[in-house]
Amino acid sequence: MSAKAYHLNLLKDSERVSSSPVRIRVMLPVLAMFAVAGAVVWWGSLLGRVLLARASAQTLQAEIDTRKAAYADVMEKMNLANELESELEQLKYYRAGRHVYGGVLTSLAEVMPLKIQLTRLEIPPPPPQSLVPPGVLPGRPYTPLWGPTGNVESVSLVLAGRTPKETPIVTLMESLESDAFTNLVTIVKDPRRSDQSPKVRSIRQDASRRGEGSRMLAFEIEYRVKDRRFAK
Amino acid sequence: MNLQNMAPNAKRSLLITAVFGAAAVSIYLFAVVPSEGDLVRAKTELGEVQTRHEMMMRNLSGADKVKERLEGLNAGLDEFRAAILQPSLESYAMGAKKLLDPIAAGAGLAETEYEELPLVALPVPKRLPVQLFARRPIRLVCRGSYQAAVSFLLRVEKEFPLVALQAMSITAQTDPLAQRVEFVFEWPAKGGRTKK
Repeated sequence: MSAKAYHLNLLKDSERVSSSPVRIRVMLPVLAMFAVAGAVVWWGSLLGRVLLARASAQTLQAEIDTRKAAYADVMEKMNLANELESELEQLKYYRAGRHVYGGVLTSLAEVMPLKIQLTRLEIPPPPPQSLVPPGVLPGRPYTPLWGPTGNVESVSLVLAGRTPKETPIVTLMESLESDAFTNLVTIVKDPRRSDQSPKVRSIRQDASRRGEGSRMLAFEIEYRVKDRRFAK
Repeated sequence: MNLQNMAPNAKRSLLITAVFGAAAVSIYLFAVVPSEGDLVRAKTELGEVQTRHEMMMRNLSGADKVKERLEGLNAGLDEFRAAILQPSLESYAMGAKKLLDPIAAGAGLAETEYEELPLVALPVPKRLPVQLFARRPIRLVCRGSYQAAVSFLLRVEKEFPLVALQAMSITAQTDPLAQRVEFVFEWPAKGGRTKK
């Protein structure tokens, strides 16, 4: 007799299972249920965070709404302060451009040589201001600038007079180079420079009068004076 | 996988798995994904409101400083406001005459004539103000000696610290006590407006 004859087959084919204790047909539905539960929890967490964010935003917005009037008042004051600050800055430009000449003209009288007869003392007016924007062609319409492009105005002092000889003129010019006039007149002696100061505009025999007048020298000297700077 | 040959238990298991799997996918697609979008939007909105709120609270907390700043600026401006030339009988020349004639007479200048000249613009600051200021020149022509003219100028410079000398000339005449004297004085003045 062989061993094959005594083989017992107690299981049906449908009941045959694998050697593994984990049954796929049980685990798959369980995993699927876990997936649903996980998705629900995930969705719940997201919903909760959305609601919390919206509630926080609403609370802050409510606080913003209650303080709107006070905030508008502060903002109006801040804008007003900015406007006043700009106005004050422009007015400080005006003050920075102010020079005083009284003291220096007093000193000028003291150093004026006796032999000089001053016929004219002049601080000429500045050239007319141009508010044409740069690059505008002549004859083309334009919107004028609110203010000049530069903030420096040059100033000069013109002394014209008569004297019997050159020496008093030299004495006067030397006096104007002294410390008493340092803050007023600018001295640039290089004749090649366009800002040379003083500039002798003319010195000639005074032909306007007969007799004693014809022996007089008429002169006109221009000094550059400290610029007016309309800036801080 | 042959469904027909599957055991009933296996078929049941597969069906349950499919149902729950579909439910999980549906919950993800129709609930989780939109909620994530909602969360991003809610966080963005919250961030914007928080920024506005912070800025508001910061500005509100500085209200006292703004008030102090305004007071300081007004105090600084008051000096200039007081110096602005006021017209008299709608004429700025007349306004200048009222201020300067007593000083001119005291210095010995006579025959005073006043003339209003066109406004001269001032440079503008970087932050353009709505109200601009300018220089208002007034020409004064009179007669007197050199000493009287300089004395007058000294008095004006002392009494009106914001009146500036723009130009002047003293031209000799036959009578040294009656030189032709011309001054152009400037006052600060309101100019145009950059916005209506």
